[in-house]
Amino acid sequence: MSDISRILESIRQGEAKAAHELLPLVYNELRDLAARKMANEAPGQTLQPTALVHEAWLRLAGNEHARFENRAHFFGAAAEAMRRILIDRARRKHALRHGGGQHRLDIEEIEIAAAAADEQLLAINEALEKFAASDPRKAELVMLRYFVGMKIDEVAEVLGISTATAKRWWTYSRAWLYSETRRTGGDSVGADLPIHP
Amino acid sequence: MPDPAVSSDREEAIFHAALYLSADKRPGYLEHACGDDVQLRGRVDNLLQSNEQAGEFLEKPAVEMTGKTIALPTPYTEKEGDRIGRYKLLQQIGEGGCGVVYMAEQEEPVRRRVALKVIKLGMDTRSVIARFEAERQALALMDHPNIAKVLDAGATEAGRPFFVMEMVRGIKITEYCDQNKLSTRERLLLFTKVCNAIQHAHQKGIIHRDIKPSNILVTLHDGVPMPKVIDFGIAKATQGRLTDQTLFTAFEQFIGTPAYMSPEQAEMSGLDIDTRCDIYALGVLLYELLTGQTPFDARELLASGLDAMRHTIREKEPDRPSTRLSTMLNADPTHTVGHRRTDALKLIHLLKGDLDWIVMKALEKDRTRRYETANSLAMDIQRHLDNEPVLASPPSSVYRFHKLVRRNKTIFAALGSVVLTLVLGLVVSLYMFTQERSARRRAVAAEQEQARMREQAETGALLGIKLTQAGLAISRDDYAEAEKIMSDIPPHPASAAIYGVLGMIHARRGERLAAIQNFTKVIEVAPNDHDAYHGLAPLLAQEPDPAPYRRLREKILRQFGETRDPITAARMAKNCMIIPPIGSEMEILNRMVNVALSAGPQDRFWAYFQFVKGLAEYRLGHFASAEEWMQKVVVNQSDPNRTVSAYMVLAMARRQLLRLDEARETLAKGVKKAEISVPRTDGPLWNDQMVAHILMREAKTLMDMAPKSTNQNK
Repeated sequence: MSDISRILESIRQGEAKAAHELLPLVYNELRDLAARKMANEAPGQTLQPTALVHEAWLRLAGNEHARFENRAHFFGAAAEAMRRILIDRARRKHALRHGGGQHRLDIEEIEIAAAAADEQLLAINEALEKFAASDPRKAELVMLRYFVGMKIDEVAEVLGISTATAKRWWTYSRAWLYSETRRTGGDSVGADLPIHP
Repeated sequence: MPDPAVSSDREEAIFHAALYLSADKRPGYLEHACGDDVQLRGRVDNLLQSNEQAGEFLEKPAVEMTGKTIALPTPYTEKEGDRIGRYKLLQQIGEGGCGVVYMAEQEEPVRRRVALKVIKLGMDTRSVIARFEAERQALALMDHPNIAKVLDAGATEAGRPFFVMEMVRGIKITEYCDQNKLSTRERLLLFTKVCNAIQHAHQKGIIHRDIKPSNILVTLHDGVPMPKVIDFGIAKATQGRLTDQTLFTAFEQFIGTPAYMSPEQAEMSGLDIDTRCDIYALGVLLYELLTGQTPFDARELLASGLDAMRHTIREKEPDRPSTRLSTMLNADPTHTVGHRRTDALKLIHLLKGDLDWIVMKALEKDRTRRYETANSLAMDIQRHLDNEPVLASPPSSVYRFHKLVRRNKTIFAALGSVVLTLVLGLVVSLYMFTQERSARRRAVAAEQEQARMREQAETGALLGIKLTQAGLAISRDDYAEAEKIMSDIPPHPASAAIYGVLGMIHARRGERLAAIQNFTKVIEVAPNDHDAYHGLAPLLAQEPDPAPYRRLREKILRQFGETRDPITAARMAKNCMIIPPIGSEMEILNRMVNVALSAGPQDRFWAYFQFVKGLAEYRLGHFASAEEWMQKVVVNQSDPNRTVSAYMVLAMARRQLLRLDEARETLAKGVKKAEISVPRTDGPLWNDQMVAHILMREAKTLMDMAPKSTNQNK
């Protein structure tokens, strides 16, 4: 049995600490995979996060037909991993631009975040962390949509809720997060967002 | 400013309710719902306002949003003006999922323009080229006006594989048809040319494996559209064996569209891809040419994830082309199909019937049901164009029945028992037939049976029809026909009876192999059919290969080892002891025999139980005890076959006890008994006769062996 199957099975059986083992595994896999893909892609091409995560799933779980309910855990971890990958990048570039230039940018790594969007990404992330503290389930839905790029019905399936519920959650979460990023204010949020009235 | 960080169910509920209301009704509702809670009201107002202003906020995935400015040095990219081997890159003319295509100039041995495709996946270049080389000879043999020649292959300096092809200046076949508003007839004629090209390749032993519109380009030759199939040999060289690991990459980057993938390719069992996957892809192409859509939407397939995609391609029946068009028309009455002159309603009418069935036959999940060759597909289209009857037809009733059963397993479980009852009746009458040699009586009985079956069949059980036909064929002694009918129907418990009869007939005729096959099928569809085991056990015991008998014995012990029914226990135990079992099996068998004996001497099968007990004792090495039990059976003389068997075991027991003369005498008595009282090949107890025969052979072999010096159990 591969690591991933073992860990997923432990999570299914309710071992909370297994979830902590899952994240680094998925994180590394996604990073490697993205890096390799970027090396092969033509310049200017975008990464498809959904495809990336599906591929990571296939690579990690391999031929062992892991259960679908396990897949939900996997996607959760993948969303978290994608979030960290992107946030790490954005933070470092942010630091670089604001005079913290001692961090050298590793060109071997994935160059995915664009300067203009970094600030917005960081603001959203901050709001999302706050949101997760009060409503973790809805925050997971946002992560799956925003960081993995899943469609609403896919997210509903992963979370085990109806599509209608997923849509309602999404509307609410989006309004909440928008309101929050707007409130925390102008300077860290890009100019493409309206200023607080 | 209210703090939106405090979320509550109530706030959310009010928010959603308010969203449903029109702007003018909202304030009234909110006042009512929030009451005096000013903070709550503030938060809800804030959320509603945010919802309106949010626009595209969060709607695009983070990666795509930030992915606009990827700037990676790409050291391995060829560019115009570069030279690859003897080819000079002139101009990039295309970029697909799997590579970049350049127009290039070849300078020697001839100066000509070629298309050069550099594969960009991180693939193992050596194996790609090796696979290409393996097919190179065959590719060189292809010479067809509708096939673009593959001229060369190699590796770039950066180590990426490239292919050189005849330069084709054309556009995708689907685009060509739409741009020129081709009529259905014109589309079909163009399509048959593609079929002919594929047929040519198949005859040279080349499978394309990746037929799709972008690989079929149309050019004009003196005003006549000329389809050219490109990329022959490339899919095979670059795909190698698809595995789960590479599949997603393959779909995303190489194959590009799963819409054209055949069920067997989707299955990825690996090796077994043949020309019929191209037939399937041709079916998809025809579907797209006729309706403007592929049977399954490529994007939906990809988005559904691997397992769902595979399931769809392998199991889901696509809509018929005409049905698809009706659906499209219902959704959008102004729909114009593929920018064609024909209006949609007329087209639906045109597709219904022949064209529907032609497409569906090419798209069969089971490739044995597809057109055998691209040529037969083309010919069927030609027949349609000439208003002749086509080969393709609505699925046969059995086929439809099969699908019906697959869809409604539970209903059929119930229905099956009805059919079974019916067929059992047939078996009884068949049994009478074999007993009664009167042809006349047979015919009458068959007719009655047929009438009954027909009545039953009309209630809708197609399986019943087939089983009836098989039963009638048996009554005509046309066993081959019966077997042919049976091979057409899906495995079903109700068919056990027919297989059983066929097995019995073959066994009596001494056709052991056929008998074994039929009895094996009985056990497959009805593992609880006792009679099949009684037939199969002695048949397999006579086979030179001991393995099948051993496996059957294991199966019997699993299935009946725990039975509490004395007669079942006895008969199944006997089936297992025709050839000496191994020790651990003997333990179970001994328990089964004891179940039989627990019935007591008053049981009408007592003599039989005594025989089985004696056999068990012998197999256990309890020779004296075996002698005792078998002596009782022999004295009783109830059944000729059993008596012969008992003599044999008795002789062997005496032989093991080293009472050699007595043993020989017993054997001789048994042989004589067999000669005088056992009819040669007839009679219902043919399996008992076989058992007697096998035991006799064992006894004779034992007699011929030199006596052992050790004397067990005495």
